[in-house]
Amino acid sequence: MRKSRAVMGNLLPFIIAIIFIFPIIWMLFVSLKPQGLGISNPLKWFLPPYTFTNYVHIIADFQVLRWLLNSLFVGIVTTIITLIVTSLAAFAISKINFQYKKFIFIFFLIGLMVPGEATLIPLYQIAQSMHILDSYIGLIVPGIASPLGVIVLKSFFDSVPKEVIESARMDGCSLFRIYYSIVLPLAKPALASIAIFTFIGSWNNFLWPYMITFSDHLYTLPVGIPVFNSNYSQDYILPMTVNAVSSIPLIIAFFFFEKQIVKGISFSGIKG
Amino acid sequence: MRNKRISGNIKAIPFLLPFFVVYVLFTIWPIIKGLQMSFYDWSIIKKIRFIGLENYAQMLHDPDFWASLWHTTLFVLFSTPTMVILALVLALLANKKSKLQAFYRGAYFLPTILSVSVISYLAIFMLQPYSGFINSFLHLIGIHAEPFWMAGPHLAWVSIVGVTLWWTVGFNMILFLAALQDIPDYMYEAAKIDGATRWQLFWNITLPQLIPVGRIILLLQVLASYKIFAQIMLITNGGPGTSTRPIIQYIYQTGFHKYNLGYAATMSYGLFVILLILSILQLKGQTSQGGES
Repeated sequence: MRKSRAVMGNLLPFIIAIIFIFPIIWMLFVSLKPQGLGISNPLKWFLPPYTFTNYVHIIADFQVLRWLLNSLFVGIVTTIITLIVTSLAAFAISKINFQYKKFIFIFFLIGLMVPGEATLIPLYQIAQSMHILDSYIGLIVPGIASPLGVIVLKSFFDSVPKEVIESARMDGCSLFRIYYSIVLPLAKPALASIAIFTFIGSWNNFLWPYMITFSDHLYTLPVGIPVFNSNYSQDYILPMTVNAVSSIPLIIAFFFFEKQIVKGISFSGIKG
Repeated sequence: MRNKRISGNIKAIPFLLPFFVVYVLFTIWPIIKGLQMSFYDWSIIKKIRFIGLENYAQMLHDPDFWASLWHTTLFVLFSTPTMVILALVLALLANKKSKLQAFYRGAYFLPTILSVSVISYLAIFMLQPYSGFINSFLHLIGIHAEPFWMAGPHLAWVSIVGVTLWWTVGFNMILFLAALQDIPDYMYEAAKIDGATRWQLFWNITLPQLIPVGRIILLLQVLASYKIFAQIMLITNGGPGTSTRPIIQYIYQTGFHKYNLGYAATMSYGLFVILLILSILQLKGQTSQGGES
């Protein structure tokens, strides 16, 4: 009785784990199968023959490669600009003494309470009047306006002791110098979490890029995948390869940065 | 002193300005603009015309609005309890001391980082009748049924809830896990000395300690579930018919297929007000309950 309970206790988490990663494993195996294979026994997906020609095919398909590079470009630029503007604002709120500080901080909090989906229509209208629809600027700029980063970084900057800042000022350091050489290096863990979180958010963002891109050379991967898959109906080997291509960078990133990703989620829990 | 403050103002401006500009343009301005648009017959193809509260009156009498709101509410009612409870179970499993602990955490969380397009097409290909993995697996183990996972309205909802559960539950699990690790060991030690069983430890220490984070997760989950759209659009496109069409998809179609941006903005505001009321109710429930205990 005791023994069977112990076995159950160890088996259950294992079985659930397998169920959770199974679709991803299956995707990777399907992407390694030669095209045009009629497979009726599902276990055959996992058995040889394997081939990398699907990947060659996808990389040689200029369109998919372009979408991949777009996603990469938009993700990296969004992340870098987000880090710069949010850390600058957080530094001002945490370390500079100015009027209406409380008011500004509360003003920044408002944005957290309004769900982005509720303002998509007016945002589209604004982007249209600014003539940034169907452009990289339109893909990037609205993504950097989230105040969550400011709030997380502010609480991090608050823990830098006042004395450190004051003695640096005595030595004639400019505020920007203090921001750049003292406060930022101390906040590296928070910056890393925000960076990874922003990048994943941008890499996976679907609705906004789907709404504002019309030219297929501007598509990001999440927008391109449905287009590619609906034009391709022979079997699902090539569509699954596109899925794999857009997931593998994230899966690799996940193994390297699991800690930071997990921390980033705990931050977003604070937000609630 | 006064001079110092004013010089502080000037010094703060270059630091605040970049974020401030982007934030006002792309977060605050849309909120105001949306309210303005809701009072207009605002179309891409026709001339814009002020119509007062007409959009709001139309919304209250629009059966499609209420139907899609009802679908979304049903989805929230079915998915939220499973989403919170399964997240708690996974967190407990992944918190147990085991050689495979890191593997469990990683596996439960991994689907969360995939893009909505990827998980939607994974679902489509797995659930396809005749050639999908699930049905051919059923045949393999001797069940010769051919369920059309995405065709009947009920089964389509089951599929959508299942896929969303698999995709997003890891996020809630991480929040529970962080809270589990914050429970101080001495609480368990003390109870063990008093001879508490494992079940008693769970009921009297673990569960009460998790209630605050559980409430946050519940609120976040309700808000997130009301915004469901992309995976439905990709998997069933709201079908069969409009039986799985959620509110955001109806707003989207009104704006971009029927070009009625004013009415779409009005419904966005309607949704926003509903979410706001739900948040306030939930937060109020928390504080009044907190007062009792």
